[in-house]
Amino acid sequence: MKNELKIITKDWDKLNPLRIEDYIAIGGYQSLEKFISKLKPSEIIAEIKESQLAGRGGAGFLMGEKLAQVAEEKGTKYFICNLDESEPGTYKDRAIVDHNPHLLLEGIILCSLAIGAEKAFIYLNGRYEEQREILAQAIQQARKKYFLGKNIFQSDYKLSIELFSGAGAYICGEETALINSLEGNRGEPKLKPPYPVKAGLFGCPTVINNAETIANIPWIIKNSGEKYKEIGSISSPGSKLFILGGVVKNKGLIEAQTGITLRELIYDFGGGLLSGKEFWFAQLGGSSGRLLLEDELDIKLDFNKKNQYPLGSGSVLVVDKTVDIYDLMLSWASFFRRESCGKCVPCREGTFRLWGIIKRLRDREISQRDKEAMEDILWTLNNTTFCPLGKFSATAIQDAITKLGKDIFKKNN
Amino acid sequence: MLAKTVEKILLEFNPQKRNLLPVLKNINSVFGYVSAKDAQKVADYFSLPLALIFQTASFYDEIKTKKSSAIVIQVCSSSNCAVNGAFNLVREIEIFLKIKAGDDNNLKIKLEEISCLGHCGEGPIMLVNGKKYERVNVSELYKILEEWLGN
Ligand SMILES: Cc1cc2nc3c(=O)[nH]c(=O)nc-3n(C[C@H](O)[C@H](O)[C@H](O)COP(=O)(O)O)c2cc1C
Ligand code: SF4
Ligand code: FES
Repeated sequence: MKNELKIITKDWDKLNPLRIEDYIAIGGYQSLEKFISKLKPSEIIAEIKESQLAGRGGAGFLMGEKLAQVAEEKGTKYFICNLDESEPGTYKDRAIVDHNPHLLLEGIILCSLAIGAEKAFIYLNGRYEEQREILAQAIQQARKKYFLGKNIFQSDYKLSIELFSGAGAYICGEETALINSLEGNRGEPKLKPPYPVKAGLFGCPTVINNAETIANIPWIIKNSGEKYKEIGSISSPGSKLFILGGVVKNKGLIEAQTGITLRELIYDFGGGLLSGKEFWFAQLGGSSGRLLLEDELDIKLDFNKKNQYPLGSGSVLVVDKTVDIYDLMLSWASFFRRESCGKCVPCREGTFRLWGIIKRLRDREISQRDKEAMEDILWTLNNTTFCPLGKFSATAIQDAITKLGKDIFKKNN
Repeated sequence: MLAKTVEKILLEFNPQKRNLLPVLKNINSVFGYVSAKDAQKVADYFSLPLALIFQTASFYDEIKTKKSSAIVIQVCSSSNCAVNGAFNLVREIEIFLKIKAGDDNNLKIKLEEISCLGHCGEGPIMLVNGKKYERVNVSELYKILEEWLGN
């Protein structure tokens, strides 16, 4: 097996997540100390910009740019860690909390102080009750050590971190919906612009980042952005957490550098397919991700804007030929029907109709009319919805039809 | 310990709108759902219209605005569980118990599909009244149902 990279997953086997001392023993909170004693906020941001760290929540926006924009704003500002993580097959952010919550806290503190926020939030998936408990304890411990609170390391910097749990809605991972949810409203997305960096939580400038993105920050501050940039892909360097699922030998979490190929991920890191299984396709990025056939596995996994196959959340489902494709299609359709927030008609109606048609497809009752309607619906979802969820709901099903095409409708002929 | 009342829960929070979801979650976890009467109390406490309380409450899967069935069976039907046979379980349960997934009107028993719980390696995952079962196959399914329903 290839060497795994250890930036986020470093020393996980040595750490008790409930003991801050363990984290301190491996050099934890030294980046924060370095910042407080030696650096200006602008220097932190310059370092992060230099690193070229791109958001790991899916969109791949450069983190340094966002921080810089909000740092320039005056008045009350907020920093939010997005730990809503509800993409099917994805549990990388939860793994960070389960193994090293203080790494995440240190990252949040560094980012918040860098932009001049005195209050940060962690928006947790509603089901992450254990993780909420771990984080609550970690926050207490950090406060006792003066890493949080009023006089961080005896300086004038202050910060409090508040935990906020969602209540079961995939769309609340989208940043504007997340803000609505935090404000006590329905978690529906809002029109952008204004972007959260201008008018975010309670109308104030706000930076929202994925938990994994934030977990890279302590390393960058300790080792420099330049060093970080040397790791992995040129277009979006650094570490990436992947989750492998399906018929691979080594299921679960893998940390690797960006830019490895999907084939390397599945065969070198994942140990290949379970014996006796024959590869059919892989889905990249959870239920909203695209399908890749055997001859497409050499794509590079990074956040290059030109990528035909977006990396998304970084989870990969490997599917073999024995799988009932109708069940899988129904799974996608059923997920998006449930998770459509209902704000816009094309998605609310489209995901519902699509689900109905896929059900009939599965039950071998699909008609010619259904097939035609399906094309219309997929087009509408792809082109007319208010937020990206609509497009997500069409992606895999569209790929299944065009790439596995003949196989899909065969049983009906 | 004294029984928790809605009034007591409310007093734990400031009546700021950003505390609305935490309050609703709290009431839901103690009483199993947010009744119209309780929603009115929340509305009064926050000085918000009742419609607004329901607007927020009805949006979230975890908040119920109706008393739920005595037994709630939930099957994760997200992709990893689906390729491991989750829909077989759904079909078995539907036929065996003569219920339909998603039907909300049966006070005794309810079956619903839910989204990924992040235990994808151990799927298919099934919950009965919150209790989690992993790697459920059809024969185990019947054992579990028996456990909850008697023969
Ligand atoms: C439907 C939808 C769901 C999303 N879910 C998540 C999520 O669960 N976690 C996350 O970090 N970002 C999610 N995002 C992306 C966020 O909107 C946002 O881009 C991200 O949190 C920014 O952080 P990053 O730059 O560090 O990736 C989602 C976006 C969409 C459109
Ligand atoms: S596309 Fe779907 S999720 Fe997005 S706003 Fe419209 S209804 Fe809501
Ligand atoms: S897909 Fe069922 S737990 Fe993740």
